[in-house]
Amino acid sequence: MSEYGYEFDAWLASACMPAVTVRSLLNEYGTSEACHEAVRRNEDRLKELISQRFYQLLYDTGTKENLDKHKKTMNKHGIRTLLFSEPGFPTSLHEIHDPPAILFVQGNIACIKDRSLAIVGSRAASYAGQKATVKLAEDLGRHGVTVISGLACGIDAAAHRGCLNGKGMTIAVVGNGLDRVYPADNRGLHDDILDNGGLIVSEYAPGEKALGWHFPVRNRIIVGLSQALILMEARIRSGSMTSVNHALEQGKDVFVYPGDPSSDSFEGNHQLLREGGVYFTSANDILEDLHWLDNPSAVRQNSECVQGYKPSTPEEETLIKALKPGALSFEQLISCTEMNPSVLMSTLTILQIRGIIEALPGKQYQLKH
Amino acid sequence: MGIMASLLSFGVTGVNGYKVHVEVFGTESMPGIEIIGLPDASVKESKDRVNAAIINSGKQMNPRRITINLAPADTKKEGPSFDLPIAIGMMIADGVLTPCPPVDMNSVALFGELSLDGSVQPINGALPMVISAKENGISTVILPDKNACEVSCIQDIRILPVSHLRQVIAWYEGKADLKAQEQVTFEALKNEAVPAVDMAQIKGQRGARRAVEVAAAGGHNMLMIGVPGSGKTMLARCIPGILPPMTFEESLETTRIHSICGKLQAGKGLMVTRPFCAPHHNASVASLIGGGQDARPGEVSLAHNGVLFLDELPEFSRGALEALRQPLEDGIVSVARVRRQAQYQSSFMLVAAMNPCPCGFYGSNRRTCRCTPPEIRRYLDRVSGPLLDRIDLQIEVDSVPISEINDSEPSESSAVVAARVRKAREIQLKRYEGTGKYCNAQLTNAEVKQFCTPDAEGSALLNAAVDSLHLSMRAYQRILKVARTIADLAGEETISSAHIAEAVQYRELDQKYWR
Repeated sequence: MSEYGYEFDAWLASACMPAVTVRSLLNEYGTSEACHEAVRRNEDRLKELISQRFYQLLYDTGTKENLDKHKKTMNKHGIRTLLFSEPGFPTSLHEIHDPPAILFVQGNIACIKDRSLAIVGSRAASYAGQKATVKLAEDLGRHGVTVISGLACGIDAAAHRGCLNGKGMTIAVVGNGLDRVYPADNRGLHDDILDNGGLIVSEYAPGEKALGWHFPVRNRIIVGLSQALILMEARIRSGSMTSVNHALEQGKDVFVYPGDPSSDSFEGNHQLLREGGVYFTSANDILEDLHWLDNPSAVRQNSECVQGYKPSTPEEETLIKALKPGALSFEQLISCTEMNPSVLMSTLTILQIRGIIEALPGKQYQLKH
Repeated sequence: MGIMASLLSFGVTGVNGYKVHVEVFGTESMPGIEIIGLPDASVKESKDRVNAAIINSGKQMNPRRITINLAPADTKKEGPSFDLPIAIGMMIADGVLTPCPPVDMNSVALFGELSLDGSVQPINGALPMVISAKENGISTVILPDKNACEVSCIQDIRILPVSHLRQVIAWYEGKADLKAQEQVTFEALKNEAVPAVDMAQIKGQRGARRAVEVAAAGGHNMLMIGVPGSGKTMLARCIPGILPPMTFEESLETTRIHSICGKLQAGKGLMVTRPFCAPHHNASVASLIGGGQDARPGEVSLAHNGVLFLDELPEFSRGALEALRQPLEDGIVSVARVRRQAQYQSSFMLVAAMNPCPCGFYGSNRRTCRCTPPEIRRYLDRVSGPLLDRIDLQIEVDSVPISEINDSEPSESSAVVAARVRKAREIQLKRYEGTGKYCNAQLTNAEVKQFCTPDAEGSALLNAAVDSLHLSMRAYQRILKVARTIADLAGEETISSAHIAEAVQYRELDQKYWR
């Protein structure tokens, strides 16, 4: 943790120089404040390190008002920084190609630890994919694994949400300044992460917008912070596949969820499985493969509730039996149970209230697992 | 000295007729015709139509100065319905027509539009005019034959339909008699009613059919969400056919409104089937609620005592949807415009349909939805909370597989369903006797407490449902009302847990879509 004002870090990062340039500046001067001093004095050594354009930019933005503004924003949002040269900087990020020079963080830094896994997948994820993600992240969180993802919609949100449900720690690596939340829909999730001992990380200075090219770039940090990558749902040409490529470059395992083969949205998963991705169906599989399982029975337990349910009426029994093979629509249920619509509706409600089945969009029902 | 003629006619303001004295005065002076008494353009043009019609009926007018006064002089007169009294008045004032035997001008009213060849054309608003004529103690009404059917149910008044001015002249001169319109009883009309779409035509959709039946039985407003082509519109079109048949009073109210808008079917009497109005989603506020210079009734009033169907609900403008709140609440709508203010009845059952997302396939297992979550949310958010608050039943309609359409046993017909609905409505009528309410949908929150208390098991279930399914307080009240209707359909006095459990299914969208 640096003892000087974080506003100098924000100033240095807001010039949007390549990470390698910032790293060389910090190697040369030690701190952002020293860099600032050097820019003020217009030292000759600077000219060798950065181009005239960046020098001018740093000089212009290095005013007192600007620094005060950064200070104010960072104090307001509780944003701190980690420099790559400092001891507190995550060691796993040192091992990747092109590590970020300055990380802005918000929340509980203790989240960064060895047992962390990245969960990635499509923003337009299927209902099944999201469900599976929530379940997986919940089990991982309960097992003390930090779940890392990108705070986007779809799989990312499901991963964070699931981990919070399991009272686990979760890290969101975002592609914008930490003074804003993108997408705005996830503000609730963002706040929940911070309130429940999670961490939000970004390499962009406060005030930076979420630009399209930031996202594939921040994926290297998501992967870099984690021990292995879990791909939940992706098409072949998708942003999630860039994360997979980062993982392969960094030599990390890629666990691939085997989604519904008939659905287009899992086509990337199946291609990866053919190419040697690690197959898994539950948190237990992953923990076992990573030898992180201290107590093998711990994870399996909570999925037993449906099996133990004793139906209280013959209708409930028929209904549960009909739903065993998978989700059915209301009309299909009528056809295969031959129940009167009003009786079927009340039975469905009662089983829903008891938490045995759940209703999906499109008037579909399925057993809860 | 001139000759003076005075005849009775009727005009329409709002949904009510009012008496108009048509006074015609002819003098030997500079020839010309003047109409006074706040006539609008179509009344002013009357003199030219009338002139030609008189000549084509075989009468030759003398050149005179004729002044026509439409009293009361401070009410705006509009429409061509005064052509007929003006023509007769002019001929009397001119001296070419002498009533024989003298007709009691205070007991005969006449109205109708004339075409240049002298034939009598139908007008809008004949029903309210005849009702008003009866209230004013008039015994005989002469009107266009094409309007005769719509007034044939009015008792104790002699209706003389005419098709040509010549017939009216002959009647006044005592040369020929007019054949009075036969009276038709409302009961006889009712037997001819056939539903527009019969429930038997709907294949599968057993869940949605049940929901439609519950909605009709309690008069509940209803929202259907489903993928394109799942049959939402067809289900909605069945509803007028399963609602209980209109009473004579209801039919009069509705026919009046349709009469002044000129929307009655030619050759049909009082409306016996409940109206079904399906305005397109680009409808303006004025066309839905009523408006225009003369404060005309809108779709909500045309749907009075019937069904207002709004397809593609989120595509309607925000203003149009919000404007529905008053008529939904009060069953009446006040339209105020520069020239006129009017109140129209608008007690209708709202049936709305929408897709679950902009592309229409969210949640479908046949096609993948391509919408992003914010897009879906924006789409759903166009339907405001206060409007949703007034919709008791919300259901999802799944599309029916082809196999089901081709080979399934015939579904129940509208007549069977309607019989059950009627029975449930009778129970409600008896329960709410004296309160002015006639169906469960109209209950206020206090009345829900009074009439819709479930048994112990039922309330335990409802509380559990509110907890585990995260239902709102709004949903809680709606569930109780709908459960009351379900119990009424089953003919049971106490609301049991099974009724509550079924009612909960009709609020599912609260959790799935608007959470």
